Amino acid sequence: MYSKSVRQIITVKERHIQILGIVLGAFYAIFIAWLYWVEPKSLEQVPAKAQESIENVTTKTQIAIGTYEIDRAKFNEGLAAFRQDNFIVARDNFEKADPERRDAQTQFYIAYSFYRQGFGRVSNDDALFKSGLERTNSVIALDKNFKSGDANLQLKTPIELKNEFEEGLKVTASDFNPLKVLRERK
Amino acid sequence: MSQVTSSKSEDKELSDENLFVVDGELLETSESANRILIQGENLELKTKDHKNEEQRTTAAGSQIQYIFLPFIFLTVALLGGLRLSAEDNAFLFLKPALVCLIYATLLLILFFRAGLLTLDGWFSENFPTLKNVANAVVLLALFFASTQIFNSLLPERGLPFWVFAFCFFWTLWNNLFVEFHGKRLLQSLGSVFALAFVAKYLLLSCLTAPASANWWSGLIENPTQEAFTWLLDLPHFSAGTGYIQFFAIIFYLLGLFLLPASTKK
Repeated sequence: MYSKSVRQIITVKERHIQILGIVLGAFYAIFIAWLYWVEPKSLEQVPAKAQESIENVTTKTQIAIGTYEIDRAKFNEGLAAFRQDNFIVARDNFEKADPERRDAQTQFYIAYSFYRQGFGRVSNDDALFKSGLERTNSVIALDKNFKSGDANLQLKTPIELKNEFEEGLKVTASDFNPLKVLRERK
Repeated sequence: MSQVTSSKSEDKELSDENLFVVDGELLETSESANRILIQGENLELKTKDHKNEEQRTTAAGSQIQYIFLPFIFLTVALLGGLRLSAEDNAFLFLKPALVCLIYATLLLILFFRAGLLTLDGWFSENFPTLKNVANAVVLLALFFASTQIFNSLLPERGLPFWVFAFCFFWTLWNNLFVEFHGKRLLQSLGSVFALAFVAKYLLLSCLTAPASANWWSGLIENPTQEAFTWLLDLPHFSAGTGYIQFFAIIFYLLGLFLLPASTKK
């Protein structure tokens, strides 16, 4: 009777230690893997990196369960900057509003900002147009039937915008037409 | 008078007939009998003490095996890839090269071959599932630590990386076909790791030029070191890196020393 109860105590304790070892080992291993993933430069950076990771995980979870939403305040700030032709600030706000690049409307505005900033009467900025083309393709991938309701935009769909970018990147005889300087930005 | 005497003797016979008769041997209540009793009691107490002792030993052994060993090996895994930048002592986390994983696998095979670990002593169908899982966690931690130890001891790039990698491969490959004892293997590993540590963190770091404002001033101040740094493609790390890696190796060897060959009771 005595030996049986002692054996039971030993077994239970060992089992507890094993469970504790597995849990602690797993947590510590995950922590180390996380450190190697985020690569903080100092101990002071660790809390900031942790917060960043938590926000990232939260956004990814929202995407997974279908509750992802853009930051409306940042989007409105971006839109205001866009309408004032301050495209760099506008893009920064749009990026912050949609960090996961999941919203077709926000991505369309980012692409449009590349068009308006890169547009030139004599020549277009190829680098900006290439970036804009990439973003337009991502808008098409997100929602190929997307149509903007903004009355200030002449190009309402990503297909039209894509055409503008592709035409702007091509070198053709019409590029040397002096009347080209009279064309208007859309 | 004679009648009276005869009547008395008859009474005595009658009373003797009424007595109980007890059959049996006489036992001596001697000291030896008492001693036997005391010895029996002591034996029982000793058995209880032994069981309590066994219980304590088992609990302590389990704590070392399932909590302390994974902790120590995972700490080695953390420190093994950590370097400090020469400019501002910032943390640099270097992920292990593929060759480190291969060497760690070879090293684990070597541990099993040398008897430092026995496969059926760590995994068995007779063990409860929980124990098998807990043992797997310990061995995984050992694998990560071994990988990061090679990451720590191999130079980061250039010619020294390939020279060190070849030397490690040569040693591990040779050892695979040698009859080893666990203790001898530990001694051999300790000496190989110590040699690699001295070569990397003392010899090569002496050849590495200190961080200077520009290439030209560095060449004028330390021409030889600049030449070696350029020829051998040596990275600049802070002196603190050597200290961190020293403790990583010490912890790893301590973990190996504490690692039981089998978890069977």
